[in-house]
Amino acid sequence: MMEKNISITKYQLFFFMIQSQTGLGLLSLPNVVQKTAKGDGWISTLIAGVAVQIMLVIYWQLLKRFPNLIYTEITQKILGRFLGKFLNLFIYLNFIFVGGLATILFIKIINLWLLPITPGWIISILILTACIYLTISDLRMIARFFVLATSLILLLLFTSFLSWFTPKEIQYILPIGSSGFKNILLGTNNSLLAMLGFEGLLFLFPFIIDNKKGVLKTISMANIFIATFYTFFVFLTLISFSSDQLAQMREPILNLLRGITYIMVDRVDLIFLSIWIVPMSTSIIAYLFLASKSMNVDKKNYPKVVLLNGFIIFSITLIPHNDAIITLFNKYVTYLSYAVVFIIPTLLLILSFLFKKHESSESA
Amino acid sequence: MRIIFIIILCILPILLTGCWDQHLLVNRTLVNGISFDVTEEGKINGSVRALSIQSKGGGQFDIYDELVSAERPTPVGLALDIDSRIAGEIDTSKAFVVIIGEELAKKGIHPFIEIFYRNMNSYMSSKIIISKGKATEILSVEKEKSPIAFVILQLLNGTEADMVIPKETTFTVWKKMLDPGEDMILPYVERVESNKVEVAGVALVNDDQYTGITLSREKSSILMLLMDQLSKKNRMALTMGSEGKGRAISFATRDLRRNLEVLVDKDNKITCKIDVKMNVEVGSYTQDLSKRLNIKKLNKDLSDELTKQAKEITDILLQANCDALGIGRRISSFHPELWKKINWNEEYQNVQFEPNVKVNIIKTGNVF
Repeated sequence: MMEKNISITKYQLFFFMIQSQTGLGLLSLPNVVQKTAKGDGWISTLIAGVAVQIMLVIYWQLLKRFPNLIYTEITQKILGRFLGKFLNLFIYLNFIFVGGLATILFIKIINLWLLPITPGWIISILILTACIYLTISDLRMIARFFVLATSLILLLLFTSFLSWFTPKEIQYILPIGSSGFKNILLGTNNSLLAMLGFEGLLFLFPFIIDNKKGVLKTISMANIFIATFYTFFVFLTLISFSSDQLAQMREPILNLLRGITYIMVDRVDLIFLSIWIVPMSTSIIAYLFLASKSMNVDKKNYPKVVLLNGFIIFSITLIPHNDAIITLFNKYVTYLSYAVVFIIPTLLLILSFLFKKHESSESA
Repeated sequence: MRIIFIIILCILPILLTGCWDQHLLVNRTLVNGISFDVTEEGKINGSVRALSIQSKGGGQFDIYDELVSAERPTPVGLALDIDSRIAGEIDTSKAFVVIIGEELAKKGIHPFIEIFYRNMNSYMSSKIIISKGKATEILSVEKEKSPIAFVILQLLNGTEADMVIPKETTFTVWKKMLDPGEDMILPYVERVESNKVEVAGVALVNDDQYTGITLSREKSSILMLLMDQLSKKNRMALTMGSEGKGRAISFATRDLRRNLEVLVDKDNKITCKIDVKMNVEVGSYTQDLSKRLNIKKLNKDLSDELTKQAKEITDILLQANCDALGIGRRISSFHPELWKKINWNEEYQNVQFEPNVKVNIIKTGNVF
């Protein structure tokens, strides 16, 4: 399994996790979270970070038992060929649909903010061509690119500091905890969706150099980074906008930057969005990669599979872009994601404990 | 194989030549000022002051400034009407000022500003102002001299620096219109001497409706102090004592510390204590030259006068039902149970204000 151009270091793993998690979700996150949690939205994202950490520990326990297998091979190992393959179909569909959904939302944002008249399919082709090109070059190239692209996330941090000069009102988040525990948890549920992408670990683990120790530390660091990053931005938007105002905004983060103005530079949001295209694409690249990996094909057929999946995602983006259809699609994909990301790995871990299965044991 | 590759390379650029979202500057008409009014029949009148750029060829451009207006029962669609009367594509991405007529502002300004939030191309840092009389009259000042919007913009920037009007833009107004716990004050301009525009003070707004009550320039500077908004180059003039034999003093505030406390007692009576401490520099003071300047006494006189005027201002705020100091926000943050019980729009009337201004003269300029 340890092929030369496919193995990655832990350092690269850290950036891979960050890049596959951040992107589209962040732009609309404050709006989604405040729907239920109101001014306590920032607590929701923190709790979401804790939930992701628990999942990462579960993944770690599972992967330790099968250090040389990826997710879709583990399912077959534990559940047998037939049931395993059946589950793998769902895992594959999840990645394809999430990838498709990400691309649709991406096109929607570009259409809304940057290029209102350009047809969606053109944007779709342009994005997906670049994504397919990178995904074909396999894991190590992707990881290297992700390391580079992370510098753009730092740029967002820098831009957000500029927004401190627009009026802020800390009282919008007071009194802390006023939304009630239930609403905060509902907000957590919504912010978990923006944090999806960490399930990539299930496919990356066998390719990490020296994966016996230290991996949990790396992924925990990545998770802490993401949780802090998200909480910071939710907090920043919460103190910048009143909750009635947030409820009206599709992409609060962009609106936050829209208020910044200088004599020489204006519309920081549009400048920022043009740069943010890269981190948004990295999520699509990650999902395209995971979908292709989940088909369990050998190395020779991998490029063909990536092309095929890229084409499928392109076809998904051709469905009409109206709000109702996208919301519906989003809802079903969310259910699928919960199953694939949270439920199946937990069940697999429990089963592997019960049947005392690990990699060296006989295949069922 | 190689030839096919080259052929593909030659074909691909053909696909790249199209661009849907191109906006050529020569085809655009840049709007730099917008006004909204209500007509006698109850229709909405929208006017724009626009710069149209026309190419003369050879890199030369002719620039015209024009005033175009349209009428409709609702603000929706005004842009379409105006667009059809202007040569070229209308572009509001640099509309620096949005003027709303007095009568219209009393009905609510949100529907007129909402257009700017929804449209991705519009400018979020425009100044929102309320005009005395018709807004079109402000916009049509000096028709020949163009462009008037920049003159108004500079005027506003100047008065902002003098601490007369708050720094409000489309972006900051958005928050205050929707926030029940805070109201805004907007610059109030009028046309004087038939050809000049003047900032007359501030207009008090409740939610998004102009209350019809304004503060003069002198009073609005004191309100700015109470709101803890200090600008670098502020100056204030004040007459102490009764008119006629009162002494006049002008000063610049160098350091401002405001402490706003909202107290709720057992009977849910709301008291708002505003303590303002300011260090000032005397700009001019006509003193009795036979006596030495008694700074202590002057400090006290100034403090008393400002406290008295501050009380007047808070009374006006109550009368206008304009929560410019954001008392409601404090209540909702620190007394959430009370906030849920009361209707703030009515309860605000019962707030007891206790302003207290303390002046400390730190410099007296070149002379003692």
